Amino acid sequence: MASSFPPGGPSRPRPGYYPPSIANPSPNPSPASSLPGAMQNLQIGRPSVPSGPPPFLSAISAPASAGSRPGTPPQSLPTRPQFQQPPAISNGPPSIGVSGPRFPTQATLREPAPMNPTQGSRAVSGSPSAGSPANDLVPPSIYTSSFSAPAAGVQMAHPSLVSSSQQLHPLMGGQPSHPLAGGPPSQPLRGGPPSQPFTGGPPSQPLTGGPPAQPLTGGLPRQPLMGGPPSQPLMGGTPSQPLMGGPPSLPYMGQPQMLQHSGLRQPLPPSGAAPPFGSPPVWQQQQPRPGVAPASSMVQAPPQMFGAPPSPFTQSRPLTPPVMGNSPLAWSHSSTPSTIDPNQIPRPMADSSVIVFKTRQGNQVNSPPPATSDFIVEDAGNCSPRLMRCTMNQIPCSGDLLSTSSMPLALLVQPLAIPNPAEEPIQVVDFGEIGPIRCSRCKGYINPFMKFVDQGKRFICNLCGCSNETPRDYYMNLGPDGRRRDADERPELCRGTVEFVATKEYMVRDPMPAVFFFLVDVSMNSIRTGATAAACSAISQAIADLPEGPRTLVGIATFDSAIHFYNLKRALQQPLMLVVPDIQDVYTPLHTDLIVPVAECRQHLEQLLESIPSMFETNKVADSAFGAAIKAAFLALKPTGGKLLVFQSVLPSIGTGSLSSREAEGRTNVSSGEKEAHKLLQPADMTLKTMAIEFAEHQVCVDVFVTTQAFVDMASISVVPRTTGGQVYYYYPFSALSDTAKLYNDLRWNISRPQGFEAVMRVRCSQGIQVQEYSGNFCKRIPTDIDLPGIDCDKSIMVSFKHDDKFQEGAECAFQCALLYTTIYGQRRIRVSNLSLPCTSMLGTLFRSADLDSLLACFLRQAATAIPTSPLSQVREQIMNLCVSILHSYRKFCATVSTPGQLILPESVKLLPLYTLALSKSTGLRNDGRLDERSYWASHVASLSVSLTVPWVYPRMISIHDLTSKENNDSIPSSTLPLSSAHLNDDGIYLLENGEDCLFYVGNMVNSEILQQIFGVTSVDGLPTQFLLQQYENNLSKILNDVVNEIRRQRCSFLRMRLCRKGDPSGMVFLSNMVEDKSPGGLSYMEFLVHVHRQIQTKME
Amino acid sequence: MADMAGGAPATEVATSDPDGFDGVRMTWNAWPRSKIEASKCVIPVAASISPIRSFPDLVVLPYSPLRCKPPCSAVLNPFCRVDFPSRIWICPFCFSRNHFPQHYAAISESNVPGELYPQCSTVEYAIPALGSGGDPSAAPYLPPPIFLFVIDTCVIEEELGFVKSAMRRAIGLIPENALVGLITYGTQVQLHELGFSELSKLYVFRGTKEISKELILDQVGLSAPGSTPTPGFPKGGMSQANGLHPAASVNRFLLPASDCEYTLNALLDELQIDQWPVEAGNRARRCTGVALSVAAALLGTCLPGTGARIVALVGGPCTEGPGMIVSKDLSQPVRSHKDLDKDAAPHFHKAVKFYDNLAKQLVNQGHVLDLFASALDQVGVAEMKVAVERTGGLVVLAESFGHPVFKDSFKRIFESGEQSLGLSFNGTHEINCSKEIKIQGIIGPCTSLEKKGAFCSDTVIGQGNTTAWKICGLDRSTCLTVFFDISPSERSSQSGIPNPQLYIQFLTNYQNSEGQIRLRVTTITRRWVEGSTNTAELVDGFDQETAAVVLARYVSFKMEMEEEFDATRWLDRTLIRLCSRFGDYRKDDPSSFIINPNFSIFPQFMFNLRRSQFVQVFNNSPDETAYFRILLNRESITNSVVMIQPSLISYSFAAPPSPALLDVASIAADRILLLDAYFSVVIFHGTTVAQWRNMGYQNQPEHQAFALLLQAPHDDAQMIIRDRFPAPRLVVCDQHGSQARFLLAKLNPSATYNSAHEVAPGSDIIFTDDASLQVFCEHLQRLAVQS
Repeated sequence: MASSFPPGGPSRPRPGYYPPSIANPSPNPSPASSLPGAMQNLQIGRPSVPSGPPPFLSAISAPASAGSRPGTPPQSLPTRPQFQQPPAISNGPPSIGVSGPRFPTQATLREPAPMNPTQGSRAVSGSPSAGSPANDLVPPSIYTSSFSAPAAGVQMAHPSLVSSSQQLHPLMGGQPSHPLAGGPPSQPLRGGPPSQPFTGGPPSQPLTGGPPAQPLTGGLPRQPLMGGPPSQPLMGGTPSQPLMGGPPSLPYMGQPQMLQHSGLRQPLPPSGAAPPFGSPPVWQQQQPRPGVAPASSMVQAPPQMFGAPPSPFTQSRPLTPPVMGNSPLAWSHSSTPSTIDPNQIPRPMADSSVIVFKTRQGNQVNSPPPATSDFIVEDAGNCSPRLMRCTMNQIPCSGDLLSTSSMPLALLVQPLAIPNPAEEPIQVVDFGEIGPIRCSRCKGYINPFMKFVDQGKRFICNLCGCSNETPRDYYMNLGPDGRRRDADERPELCRGTVEFVATKEYMVRDPMPAVFFFLVDVSMNSIRTGATAAACSAISQAIADLPEGPRTLVGIATFDSAIHFYNLKRALQQPLMLVVPDIQDVYTPLHTDLIVPVAECRQHLEQLLESIPSMFETNKVADSAFGAAIKAAFLALKPTGGKLLVFQSVLPSIGTGSLSSREAEGRTNVSSGEKEAHKLLQPADMTLKTMAIEFAEHQVCVDVFVTTQAFVDMASISVVPRTTGGQVYYYYPFSALSDTAKLYNDLRWNISRPQGFEAVMRVRCSQGIQVQEYSGNFCKRIPTDIDLPGIDCDKSIMVSFKHDDKFQEGAECAFQCALLYTTIYGQRRIRVSNLSLPCTSMLGTLFRSADLDSLLACFLRQAATAIPTSPLSQVREQIMNLCVSILHSYRKFCATVSTPGQLILPESVKLLPLYTLALSKSTGLRNDGRLDERSYWASHVASLSVSLTVPWVYPRMISIHDLTSKENNDSIPSSTLPLSSAHLNDDGIYLLENGEDCLFYVGNMVNSEILQQIFGVTSVDGLPTQFLLQQYENNLSKILNDVVNEIRRQRCSFLRMRLCRKGDPSGMVFLSNMVEDKSPGGLSYMEFLVHVHRQIQTKME
Repeated sequence: MADMAGGAPATEVATSDPDGFDGVRMTWNAWPRSKIEASKCVIPVAASISPIRSFPDLVVLPYSPLRCKPPCSAVLNPFCRVDFPSRIWICPFCFSRNHFPQHYAAISESNVPGELYPQCSTVEYAIPALGSGGDPSAAPYLPPPIFLFVIDTCVIEEELGFVKSAMRRAIGLIPENALVGLITYGTQVQLHELGFSELSKLYVFRGTKEISKELILDQVGLSAPGSTPTPGFPKGGMSQANGLHPAASVNRFLLPASDCEYTLNALLDELQIDQWPVEAGNRARRCTGVALSVAAALLGTCLPGTGARIVALVGGPCTEGPGMIVSKDLSQPVRSHKDLDKDAAPHFHKAVKFYDNLAKQLVNQGHVLDLFASALDQVGVAEMKVAVERTGGLVVLAESFGHPVFKDSFKRIFESGEQSLGLSFNGTHEINCSKEIKIQGIIGPCTSLEKKGAFCSDTVIGQGNTTAWKICGLDRSTCLTVFFDISPSERSSQSGIPNPQLYIQFLTNYQNSEGQIRLRVTTITRRWVEGSTNTAELVDGFDQETAAVVLARYVSFKMEMEEEFDATRWLDRTLIRLCSRFGDYRKDDPSSFIINPNFSIFPQFMFNLRRSQFVQVFNNSPDETAYFRILLNRESITNSVVMIQPSLISYSFAAPPSPALLDVASIAADRILLLDAYFSVVIFHGTTVAQWRNMGYQNQPEHQAFALLLQAPHDDAQMIIRDRFPAPRLVVCDQHGSQARFLLAKLNPSATYNSAHEVAPGSDIIFTDDASLQVFCEHLQRLAVQS
């Protein structure tokens, strides 16, 4: 089955521990060509007028220029003038609103038509091909990850959106996003970043311009979709043409139905299209006021764009007016429903270009690029954002300031994150017997921010301020710049992340061997569904990748209503099966030989794995003693610790820790069911939790692979992995056909990815703040440290902070994460990552430095934590309130200039409403979700890395029926579609992925030739229900497979493939991902914006 | 007192049959008629019966017995009065008149069925299996025997090696149809599923936790409804015992030997010593108790009536879980007799209780526990004794699994034919007797079935309060001692014409080693002795060997049951009373004391019993004592006598092999002595003989005679060893050698260091302060005549 995807399909990173060796999927090997310093380039780029401007334009101008856009136009126009200045200001970027104040006018620039061309050409590598726009589009560099980036850039094109409707207009200011991020002052720099997404310096600009583009991107694609091809006249009609100078764009659009290039997008922006669209999303009639104010506010926009903007502006302006005109309605305030151009709404933008990110420059801290973008880090004192990322890149001086902003202060730590192969590997520092130098008071580790004084005889801890004596052996005098002369030679003094070799003091015992214990469910259902066979074959293949050495130990057991261990000792003629039948009070059946070096038992193990499915073929035992089995396996692992990988297929119904079918009970007991539904997301009892804590004490990390077709009480089961630093894999409904390959790949990655054992982690921070809470998969026994029996490159831990004092403006706040762990090769190491961020007392700066991706991760985790304890509706409300509070804070304190009627979004977080909406519609927060799915969602989220957070909430969707028609150099899908059913055509095939699942949506009128090429069937009806992606001998199929493999590589996940057909229940599943649509459970994106705006308005009053 | 050799050497046993045709020997062959007289007899009225002793002339009747009407249910026997014309027989026990059934119609004085032949006081009925409906052509299904091996792996490699080779040999000997199961244990119990084809599979049970039978069966998947037959004792007919296993799944664990031979051998090849770590200063963790529970539970799935034995090979004390006899800490020694006396053995009573319950379970199921204990230290035989004895199991105590005592004995249980032990199963023993007689109980390898009746005495000795006993396992040598009480009931005295004869009928229903159901009926009659004057009749009926053995069994029993029981003193007083009662003497004149020859050796038996391991327990561990007593209780009178008073044969050039006095004076430099102390056989070379031998004369053709002399005791010893179970330990030693103690300990110390001047040259002395037999007898005479 899996043949089509070679196991390696997505070339998974090899176990190699080291970053370098690890060619991680994640790191995009993709041509990082221009990436380096993309940010900077951007800045530099400023001069290059074209690029710069666009961004702004996008924001502001768009509306304006877009004239086409509904409501906004009018307002925007007026403001725009101001904007123009902004360009110069460029800073403005961050929050539009903000910008507003500072720069009288904020202008969101849309990409001027001209821009497009340029960009198009650049961005689109295939620019030449421009002729065939479609292709070009694709190639682009932008691959999904880019979403975020673009997003930022995109603000909401309020104006356009709101268009007619009054309120909205004002909405978005945020376009300048990227720039915004840059933070006003540093704008240039930051501005850069945004641009980065766009990458190709030059092109980038266009891209950046992109922001506006974003709308474009977002829009474009849509438009294309929408109007695109045949479909709606609207599109065609679309204003875009007119706007853009559309001509070129249009053609593009037209041709490539699906994906548009950034270039294409541009056309969109012009999107004056909106007007035509107008109809599409209809806004409710809402507040009149907005309408009023809007106009001005609309404009907002962060002029910030790189210096460049100016010119664009100018251009844009002209455009805008028309746009404005379009949206006369808005002006009217009338409550009549207003139409908004959906394409103008801020949306994530894909960008495939590689960015080079230097963590610090001089004394300045650079804000990291979006987590989903492709970047290469130069560690200049601060660690890579992959390892630690803060929700804000400037730390508020006081707790008051923080609470005013309503934003959380948290650090997302992914201590073993896989670096980009192009990055310098993390250096290992060995201090010999004395061990790493540490502060005598707080025990903080030596780092680049410790200040050496007194000719180097003493050093002052940057965390606690204690003055320490420099150990004699470590003494070095200071150079003229006040730094130690050897600072640049010593990694611990110049790198944000180093790894110290641990001395005996850091060990309570010899470093443990790498132990992998497999536990396979062989109960009746498991056998019958093929889950056992799949697990066995996965294990059998996966162990081939285990290192041979004597330090790698393996063991295996199976279980149904009893636990079967196997003695794999070499001397035995055949494996010996040892049954432990007492599942109330388990024990391990042998003292030795249950866990043996893999080298000694490989053959036995393979034989055994082959025979297990047949051995239990006739098993009539339906019960499964999960709890007892893990306990027994734990007992076997107790002396060493290690990883326990459990393959579970049914509800654990017997023995210690058995569970009941609570879902069914919940259903029958409807009256309490509704109110108390969330309680079913809590573990059934404390048994498993207690067990898990014991496991953690003995360094046993449990991963559970749930291959089921029914309720398994994930809420209870997941407690074990979550407490032991493991994770849950969920295959529901399990299909032996389609899930076997994923199971294998998941397992393989699980055991071969970079990881550590028996770890302890602690985050220290400067005086002034303190750690409030850790959240993630770990066990915590003492308040300051967390125990991680297992930690791997995919696990992320969130650390939240609270103020206990104030910082001085201009001071820096340092964070240091120390992870003491044992490598798979048995070395004890301390990985120390440092992040030192400037402090600010300016709210505006704070908003400008906000990190959208981290914030989202924070939101997500909060939601996940809340769902077992509060009713869903309440959780959704909380999330939305949080969003509103932040926007309100910005609106109130940073955007005073703008008219009250406008919805103003800080550039840095302009996608917050979209993500909030998406989050509220996610599996975990939807009302219709199954209990297990919701629990799985929550448990998955608990350790989700920042880079996977975005797609998890707002999946990436691309069209695939037209892959061949796009130019595609890197096999990276470049143009993503907004998650709106408006962008789905009946004759299209779409791929949607969130890092975990990959859904193929097949319209009901798809060309049979395309079907044949992709699926090997000639009609939609012939599509199999259980799907296996195969590669056929044709270009389209090949490209598709390349694309999928690329996605797999990026996500470090094999992806669960599912086919969704229009008009089928599976189609509904797919459509439930269209978060921008209005659904029974929630508002459409535009409705939501209105809603948010209204909330803010209410608060303002 | 001339016949000091006491019990005849084994060679003689085969020829003459001291136990008689019926296999019943009584302390008194003429019974006093009143309770008072009986108590005056001093020696209890008791019978020793070997229920299924084999003898060549046994009449086997291929039909069901004719029984008296209930509740008597006595079987028709030669002592019944038969009224041929009216086809009526009168039961000698209850005097009921019974009509002969139709198929006895042809009966006449000249045509009587086998059971009425006067010489057929013992007959055996081969009861047709119910299934075959009496049709002889339908071969009845014979349930195969089951051997469930329980092997201790907490032993050193070498010992395990011995176990493996013993097991391999056993597997080769087991009949092909016999079902075999295997349990190994150490810290945990491993139940091997021999019927699992894909790979070796076993169930593991924790050693520390007591688990019920139901739970065990549930856990190994054998608890399907209906698969667990209940205990219920198979009644008389035993016809349901077809041995089929309704829980077919038990076949996973118990397979015909022919099917699992390969698997078993493979398992044995891989069998390792217990891998759980043993901390320094600790004993291995060994859970014998749980292992036996598992074994018992597994056999519980077999239908009642299936002959099954648990063959336990135990290499050390149980230190964990139920049945634990000593803690793991080596600083705590295994309990000694002293500890037991002082009640300082913390685990003893708990363990005994556990094994007692185990015994009950096994008895319910009709299964046997055989114990092969091989260790230098104790393994807990004292605690397990109850389980072994109640089920009629075999026990062998050896120092090592490599020792011939174990190897030879172990082999014996699987042998067939001439060497076969005739292992039978599922015995039920019932006794009918005349109305004046009550049964106090039985000492021996059986369990009371608590079938109360008019014949039950109020006084209970051993397994009492019943007229029926269960003997799960029995063999040719199995012997029971029945204690009787004489209490003439009102009615019998009223009946006017007192019957001068008393009758006792022993009914033993069992399943022989071929699986056939047999009922052995032995009916005996003895004379009543009226009044108190007929001492002579009593004296004539006295059987001193039986009396000695019964007394030994009784005293052992009392030692176990009664705290602070002073056995030596009790024996002395008994002997003195006996002599006072039956001796001829003038008061207070010891020299006038004479006693009938029927009593002549009795004092010597008592002398030796007082010095024996049965009474002098402090020279032995509780395990050894338990072992000796189990055997004392289950062996025939002849064998038991040897245990009490060993036999000694002297070999020399001067005379043919001849019995010698069990006295140190029998030692001579030019003699070879062969001592048969039952548990050990000692060949003792006098100094000169030893020197000759060391110089190799026996290898010189001209000294052929010497070679023959050397060889003769060895041949005789082998003969003894071959026929005996458990195999005795063979000790070959030379005078003044260290091993000579095995002989010296048994000899009458007529010459000690105190009397060395009297010693004949070449003889020996014993370093002891013990009184010699002569001194003992002098004292006895003195005390017996005291007024």
